Amino acid sequence: MTKYILQRLIYMIITLFIIATATFFLMQLLPGSPFNELGGKMTEAQEQILLEEYGLNDPVPVQYAKYMLGMVQGDLGVSFQYDNRSVTDIILDRIGPSAHLGAQALIIGSVLGIILGMIAAIRHNTWVDYSSNVLAVIGISIPSFVFAGLLQYYFAVQWRIFPPSFWEGPIYSVLPTISLMIFPMAICARFMRTEMLEVLGSDYIELARAKGVSNSKIMFKHALRNALIPVITVLGPMTVSLMTGTLVIEQIFAVPGIGEQFVRSISVNDYPVIMGTTMLFSVLFILVILIVDLLYGMIDPRIRITGGKD
Amino acid sequence: MEPILEVRHLHVVFDTYSGTVQAVRGANFTLKKGETLAIVGESGSGKSVTTKALMGLVAKPAGHIPEGEILFDGKDLTKLSDKEMQKIRGKDISMIFQDPMTSLNPTMKIGKQIMEGLILHQKLSKIEAKKRAIELLELVGIPDPANRMNQYPHQFSGGMRQRVVIAIALACNPKVLLADEPTTALDVTIQAQILELMKEIQRKMETSIIFITHDLGVVANVADRVAVMYAGKIVEIGTVDDIFYNPKHPYTWGLLGSMPTVDNEDEKLMAIPGTPPDLMNPPKGDAFAARNEYAMQIDLEEEPPMFKVSDTHYAATWLLHDDAPDVEPPEAVKKRMKGIAKGSISAGRRIDVE
Repeated sequence: MTKYILQRLIYMIITLFIIATATFFLMQLLPGSPFNELGGKMTEAQEQILLEEYGLNDPVPVQYAKYMLGMVQGDLGVSFQYDNRSVTDIILDRIGPSAHLGAQALIIGSVLGIILGMIAAIRHNTWVDYSSNVLAVIGISIPSFVFAGLLQYYFAVQWRIFPPSFWEGPIYSVLPTISLMIFPMAICARFMRTEMLEVLGSDYIELARAKGVSNSKIMFKHALRNALIPVITVLGPMTVSLMTGTLVIEQIFAVPGIGEQFVRSISVNDYPVIMGTTMLFSVLFILVILIVDLLYGMIDPRIRITGGKD
Repeated sequence: MEPILEVRHLHVVFDTYSGTVQAVRGANFTLKKGETLAIVGESGSGKSVTTKALMGLVAKPAGHIPEGEILFDGKDLTKLSDKEMQKIRGKDISMIFQDPMTSLNPTMKIGKQIMEGLILHQKLSKIEAKKRAIELLELVGIPDPANRMNQYPHQFSGGMRQRVVIAIALACNPKVLLADEPTTALDVTIQAQILELMKEIQRKMETSIIFITHDLGVVANVADRVAVMYAGKIVEIGTVDDIFYNPKHPYTWGLLGSMPTVDNEDEKLMAIPGTPPDLMNPPKGDAFAARNEYAMQIDLEEEPPMFKVSDTHYAATWLLHDDAPDVEPPEAVKKRMKGIAKGSISAGRRIDVE
């Protein structure tokens, strides 16, 4: 087990190296320079001094080598858009709200979705099932920013129940969380319903019935665990879509999160911050996949990773 | 012997989009204490649905029992609520399923799967249930039971899994055991082992068994009595000797004629022509008439009642009516009967090489 995780971590480092390299060279294709934002207030000479200062006049391979060397030592560089703020500092400052929002949306969304899917399966081909199906289709097909706008309009502007934007306390997280969680909820509900129906029709559920086990026990002790296996599979990509989903949602609700920072950095060619944030997203993504793989083994004994005999 | 289970005029129907399927159309039989009753018939004849009805496991809401009684222990099982049936299932009546590869929960340790029924019906504590589960695994011949308790189904072979399924069925000393083709999914050597195991268990525990199969070799090996089922009805019922040496129904002849024995390798097997009737619109008269070369005019018009052949032997065919001509079973079937007498049925019987 430990050996397996170690092996996965080594693969992870290789993957990250490739991502860093690709992003670094792709970033050079961005039009403009970090310092023409100031709208021609700088003279040619001043700009040259700044470019020299930040090492942007070096040939690209040299810049690349310098950056990678720094990254290995844990130094992600200094931001261009803020005075003297290190990228690590900016990320640490901004990660809190994003993590909060993402985790909240993922947990509430998937749990609600699983429950909804189970109910739909138990009551399948009744109005309960049909309405949960309609809800799921709506949730999957309508993008989160549409919900965000609607929620803001009704709950904040019309009825004034929740604040429309900013990030000043738990109540500010309600609307962005709802707009983010609808997608994972809908996906989980769809998958759970299909899987649950299949599991409930299987021989081992019939055997459990033949043992005289009650319906509720069959649901929770026999069916749920087996139906969860494929749902775990979609949870991985869903976590990623939540990460990218936050970019837009954070903009709409003016949440000072990492996604909002990421978008702004791209528009002002703040190379170090773009690099740092991309690396952060990549690390998160790879970790999520690893966690999903480990979860699999916990739920399904057939694919449990054993130490191996060698 | 006193009857333990009586099925009277049992009907099971399924509502589908294209119509109502009459899967069981008035089945009558009794199961006596300590005996093994085999129900044979081709696919779709209603064998499995009958056992599902006995367990109260006919899939609702599509399937239901419009008519008939299942008398067990002074109660009519068709009238019991879900909750009441839950108390009987697994305790008084339990079931062995056909395919051991799919009938165990893949994410639950087998020990837990056996203990579940014990804790539920016999109110045993976890420790007691564990002790009993180990005993059960020992009884069904699984080596090293204490360690095997903590393993998952995928760590067992097919034959071993079927032993686990049998252990689950036996957990609460059921009075009636329903075995729905328990050996069909197993290879021949394992089949013989499982059959031996079931016979041994019956001797030890005096359980009554209903054994569903389409393998007549297996029937000859395990059963005391045989019921032949066709199109949702029992068409002939009798002791093993009655059915194998003195079959009366042309359908039974057909079944016997289509059974391979060791002796008949050089001749063609008899086949029953045609296909079973559409149970959505069952034919008027005898359901077998269309495939029956001995069919008479009356077979097309009226359903034959059960004619008594002897105290133990009944058959539903107009050929047994006083006015019917005497018809002998075809030569091939007679030969087959001789083959059975010599004990040369191949399937399901252990062949000792000496």
